[in-house]
Amino acid sequence: MIEIKNLSFKFGKLKIFNDFNLEIPKGEVVLITGINGVGKTTLLRLIAGVLKPLKGEIKFSDEISSDPRRYIGFISDKLSLYESLTVSQAIDFHKSIYGISNFDDFLIKFTKIKKSQKLKQLSIGQRAIFHLSLILSTNPKILLIDEIIHSIDVYLRNIFIKELIKLISEKMVTLVLVNLNFYDIENILNRVILLKNGEIAVNEKIGTLKTKVKKLISTNSPKSLPVISQIDYLDHSEYFIYPYKENYRKQFDGEVIDLNLTEIVSAFIGGEYA
Amino acid sequence: MKKESKIILNIKVDVKSALPIYEQIKRAIKIAILSGKFKDGDKLTSIREMAIKLKINPNTIIKIYTQLENEGYVYSRAGLGYFIKRNKENLDKDKYEIFKQETFDYISKASEFGYSYNDILKIVKKYFKGV
Repeated sequence: MIEIKNLSFKFGKLKIFNDFNLEIPKGEVVLITGINGVGKTTLLRLIAGVLKPLKGEIKFSDEISSDPRRYIGFISDKLSLYESLTVSQAIDFHKSIYGISNFDDFLIKFTKIKKSQKLKQLSIGQRAIFHLSLILSTNPKILLIDEIIHSIDVYLRNIFIKELIKLISEKMVTLVLVNLNFYDIENILNRVILLKNGEIAVNEKIGTLKTKVKKLISTNSPKSLPVISQIDYLDHSEYFIYPYKENYRKQFDGEVIDLNLTEIVSAFIGGEYA
Repeated sequence: MKKESKIILNIKVDVKSALPIYEQIKRAIKIAILSGKFKDGDKLTSIREMAIKLKINPNTIIKIYTQLENEGYVYSRAGLGYFIKRNKENLDKDKYEIFKQETFDYISKASEFGYSYNDILKIVKKYFKGV
């Protein structure tokens, strides 16, 4: 479990989080999303221990609390690895740091990575897979992934996602993903957290979220309902409702449409720019 | 070692569908069982493999398999996985249920297109003549 309590954080004078609280249960696959600049990556970096909170604390379950950073893997395209080392040097270095005797290079074999290549010569996708294989060798309990999945080509992305599913099913790893794009990952998620102005605007299990966010198509504005955003057309509008209740159907003249995750998140994000 | 089932389930998941993902997969597996694609005692694709293949959270697959077990379609053997149970009594009833559901889905779609009872009948007759 990841437990964030009364967290505050600033970049200089720019307040990102103020008294922020969040609990992520063990083994869940959580998506953190929100508009650019809302603090998604910052939150991941705080959990990873790369950034230190100004106030408050981030606690982990007992099994990893003695040395959390040992059990947290963090993958990001902005993260520099051991750039000037070759792949095999990086593997040796990594083994010595973490005291690992066996490094399983099965993932690298899928990627056309040569062990004599320098890390800075690898493509984004190759780096992501290589980085993942380094992290896998340390048996992480928590894996944080910043964007990256959709910068990877479809072949490597499939390999990457396959490894994530193995981690969830076999190792009960808690997975926290920061993403704006959901194609290919929507069905592995348990929970969605939407950040807004440094706070949690939505924190719902996927199934619940889908029952609570609906699109209404109508020519009349549903004034009494909680509209998060709307799209206007010449002769009608689409209203996105959250939280939606079944009895709204009677109060409203129009059609009720189910949404997928991409549409749901678009509705929330659209609302923030309105 | 028991030979793994060679039956390939080709399930397509439609994220845009109003039917929840787990219902879609459950229905596809049921249809495969009811249509006789699976034989009694065949091993169902493992949770992990199914999750990877469909890019679905393994917990969703566990939920589906557990429900199929509760409904009497499969049974589990600790450490070995899930196996098909073709229960004669349930089969006919469930087969009819799914047939009814699929027929309703089809009719409602046809009605949305504006086709009448007679239009549908015409197509059905044409199909059986063709067969």
